[in-house]
Amino acid sequence: MAEIQQNDGGGKKGHQKKMAIRVDFTPMVDMNMLLITFFMLCTTMIKSQTLNIALPSNEEVKNEENMSQASADDAVTIILDAKRKAGSQEVDSVNGKVVNEVYYYFGKPGGDAGIFGPGGTVVSANNNMQMSEFLVDDGASKAARGIRKIIQDRNKDVLKEINKLKADFRDGRITQEQYDEKASKVRKDEKLKKPVIIIKCTPEASYGSLVQVLDEMQINSISKYQIDNMTKEDSVMIVDYHKNHAK
Amino acid sequence: MGRVKIARKSTFIDMTAMSDVTVLLLTFFMLTSTFLQKEPTTVITPASVSEEKVQETNYIQVLVSPEGKVWLTMNNDTSANWSNEKMRMELLDNVTTYYNRSHSKNPVNFTPQQKIAFSKLGSFGVPLAQMGEFLNLASMQEGQTKMDKWLDGTDNNPAHKSGIPIQWSKDKTNPDEFQMWMMAMRDTQNENLAQAIKDGKGVAIKADQNTAFDVIHMVMDNLQTINMNKFTLLTALKAGE
Repeated sequence: MAEIQQNDGGGKKGHQKKMAIRVDFTPMVDMNMLLITFFMLCTTMIKSQTLNIALPSNEEVKNEENMSQASADDAVTIILDAKRKAGSQEVDSVNGKVVNEVYYYFGKPGGDAGIFGPGGTVVSANNNMQMSEFLVDDGASKAARGIRKIIQDRNKDVLKEINKLKADFRDGRITQEQYDEKASKVRKDEKLKKPVIIIKCTPEASYGSLVQVLDEMQINSISKYQIDNMTKEDSVMIVDYHKNHAK
Repeated sequence: MGRVKIARKSTFIDMTAMSDVTVLLLTFFMLTSTFLQKEPTTVITPASVSEEKVQETNYIQVLVSPEGKVWLTMNNDTSANWSNEKMRMELLDNVTTYYNRSHSKNPVNFTPQQKIAFSKLGSFGVPLAQMGEFLNLASMQEGQTKMDKWLDGTDNNPAHKSGIPIQWSKDKTNPDEFQMWMMAMRDTQNENLAQAIKDGKGVAIKADQNTAFDVIHMVMDNLQTINMNKFTLLTALKAGE
């Protein structure tokens, strides 16, 4: 829509007419806005991140000698579960999000004595399971709490070295590549005492909590962890824990 | 009586600058964004601190709904000899071979037209026994809409099953349909995809954060059984930390 304004000041003869050419861009802007709206609604700019995991093969291991055994000293078992509604097995959720529960125990289930007494009875006194929580950011304190604190306490030797490296990196003494290389060396260092974390999930536990706990492994520089199946002892201990800690 | 005369001013606003801005914005959106894929179910992936970006090509996305239904999406590198269409055709051939091996009594076969229809699919996931009927929809009027409705279950036809059949299957010699599809993917001649699967970047599981572990475990276990032990989980970036 071009607008041509003629400006013939008095109609003098012999002078060329002055022309002001103005193009109205309003429809163009309208159209562009529509296109922008279309692109904003139909496209995504966020690319998904990925979390790599490697699981053992399902094939049965023939010779058990080759299996690496975690010593009871190093083993930390983390069990994920979903909170149930009071008095039922239904999963409880708040704002459409499943409420996660985290349990952990060190070493063997029920300690050295085991959770089962003579005749298969459950010995509550031996139950070494405790309940924890995922770190929720309250914005106030930066100190680790919940399950992160427990993992960090068990992995403090490695974290001390990693923190040293981080400080070096922050002050510009080492480059990113050097940091990555040294950090991975520290994580795998056999001389440092580090935990072996076994992650177990109940069937009702949410997928979100699994990703959350895998995140904690990354945050806390845990080199040895695995996802395993629940055992009978684990289930019994959760039930027993709830019996003894009824609200 | 003196009257105040209001000078008439033109209301013409110069839109040139505005137009410049909108064109810039438009260019920005066109260049940075990727189109949303239409998926049979909407899931909210859990947040994670992992900063690794998802691969652009050569991976299979396994979409898992909270009810335990599974759909697959292929993302190939289109630059090489393997176009998406060609890959899908070969994939369908492979999976038919696997299926007919264990279902010798009622084998499935696809006509060339059905194969071409399959090669144009985005997400797919119907039982192989119904695949022929599903693909026939493509040549019908409003076929795409009908197929989409079948996949997300809004066509109100209880006979139309959506999702690839999957169950606990620890026997490699007797795979379920999900395992057949995955093995068929691995068997295609596309070496880049095979390498990606080997490196653990070729299979990405996408599931909702509230999905029960039981459902995810079944998918993982299925993959473990056919020796695809390494895979990735799709997550969203977590703010902070």
